[in-house]
Amino acid sequence: MTLDPLQLCLLFSSALFCVGLVGALARSSTILVLLGVELMLNAANINFIAFWRYGPPTAPATGVMFVIFSIAVAAAEAAVGLALIIAVYRHQKNIRLQEASRLKG
Amino acid sequence: MNYLELLRALLPETALVVGALLALTFDLSFGVRQSRETRLHAAVIIGTLAVVAAMFGALSAGVADAVFGGVLVLDELTLASRLGVLMLAWLTLTLTGGTARLRHPAEFVAIVLFATAGFTLMAAAQQLLVAFLALELASLSLYILAGFDKSRPESAEAALKYFLFGGMSAAFLLFGFSLIYGLTGSIELPQIAHQLARQGQSPLLSLALVMVLVAFGFKAAAAPFHLWAPDVYEGAPVVSSALIASASKLAGFTLFVRLLWPGFGPAAGSVATAAGSPGWLPLVACLSAASLLLGNFAALAQSNVRRLLAYSAIAHAGVMLLGVIVAGDAGLGPLFYYVFTYGLATIGAFAVIAVVERAGCCQKITDLAGLHRRSPLLAGCFAVYLLSLAGIPPLAGFFGKFTVFAAALNLGGLAGPAGWLALLAIALSAVALYYYLVMLKQALVVAPADPASAPVPVPADAAIVLVFTALLLVLLGLFPSVVLRIF
Repeated sequence: MTLDPLQLCLLFSSALFCVGLVGALARSSTILVLLGVELMLNAANINFIAFWRYGPPTAPATGVMFVIFSIAVAAAEAAVGLALIIAVYRHQKNIRLQEASRLKG
Repeated sequence: MNYLELLRALLPETALVVGALLALTFDLSFGVRQSRETRLHAAVIIGTLAVVAAMFGALSAGVADAVFGGVLVLDELTLASRLGVLMLAWLTLTLTGGTARLRHPAEFVAIVLFATAGFTLMAAAQQLLVAFLALELASLSLYILAGFDKSRPESAEAALKYFLFGGMSAAFLLFGFSLIYGLTGSIELPQIAHQLARQGQSPLLSLALVMVLVAFGFKAAAAPFHLWAPDVYEGAPVVSSALIASASKLAGFTLFVRLLWPGFGPAAGSVATAAGSPGWLPLVACLSAASLLLGNFAALAQSNVRRLLAYSAIAHAGVMLLGVIVAGDAGLGPLFYYVFTYGLATIGAFAVIAVVERAGCCQKITDLAGLHRRSPLLAGCFAVYLLSLAGIPPLAGFFGKFTVFAAALNLGGLAGPAGWLALLAIALSAVALYYYLVMLKQALVVAPADPASAPVPVPADAAIVLVFTALLLVLLGLFPSVVLRIF
């Protein structure tokens, strides 16, 4: 069985998404969770590029435009995320998620 | 492509962003030597002016079909949702002026305005890219608002949890959008609907729909994606919780109902009959049932006022999802009416909490004891909000529930999941009444824990919010057609 390039890209991006998801759910360090989320976002970006590249050749570059914007959004998200991680670090002197457990019920 | 037309359509967002920048500039240039109180009031006044200007902008943009090649749409839903969101933002800002003690007042107001710009853009988006950007603008602002109180560890923790769940749901949404783009070759909702109607169901489409619904469940705080809600409602500053619970819900439901029905409508499936047919409707029905059950039963076990409101919000999300299900058949009236009146009642309840917290502590339900002696105005308004949330006539909450349930039963009677969900929701309303009455009993009947406890002073700004929301809930309950007629 041979896979065409689009299928390979989709398999790769799905794998990347799953790796990111597992990382985001299983890691206890907040920064690594953030990394997992970024991987998931990048998996989606690869999808957009692949669908644009292997789509109809006359189509406008929608996929690429989407990716440019979503990279900018991911950067903004990382900035906010790191700021919040610093805010948590100031109070509990570490960034382990298990110890962020004041709120429950 | 007509840029003037685009500018006119984006007048509300422009007004909000200009207002936010003005508030920051004013604070940095003239506010440096002023007291914190003056700076807060100056920022709130600038913010209020920006929101009012945005309301006029939304009205003057009027109703048009598609703007700028179909990127935005200005229909009745856009107009109503924009005005509703702006009204809720105005209430939040007024409440901020009355009750908040902030170290950086201008920044807070500016971020509230940025979030509101995100909400109004969500209400108008008709293209996946604009929808994603608007959603992220609103979400990123809300994460910051949740963590705004740097002196309390609970606030930082709540914001971090909100951010991590939110970031993950954004990734799911983006992945779902990328698959939709791949399947249909377009990111504009009308073309997507056209393509989906031609293609029919496919496994990849199901995956894309599931991913979009995960993000929707997060935004709506529907079970099982609700985990952030209780922590954020409890830990965030009260004013931020009020905005997250009201305006963000309204904008989120507007965005997703537009995404689901006009965009993915051909893949809806059916829940009118027991057999049904596959699509996203059965999934939304599952989310709705899970939220109704979990929200109502978990709320029974709560002793913290804000956590209780959070779980009741999850239960209300279940009814709102039922409103999404009926929106294809009965139109958007029931859903919009329900979400808007829910937002008003919630913002009112958080206003009461904010005022009580200003005078002392408001964590446990027992902290509300004797509110009728300490401040009759607060206790009276609190009763209106909670009874509206519980759905007691003649308040707006009753009519909201009535229209949604009636529309659901109209879909296929008791022959299918929609009817069963309506019955479940009606039965669980009795459970909900119990926990609302537990709170009301503390506020209206029980004597104060400390007989000498001082009366709670109500600042003028907060009093405006309280009276305005309570009056609006009564009036909308008596004349629901004012809102329903729009659609």
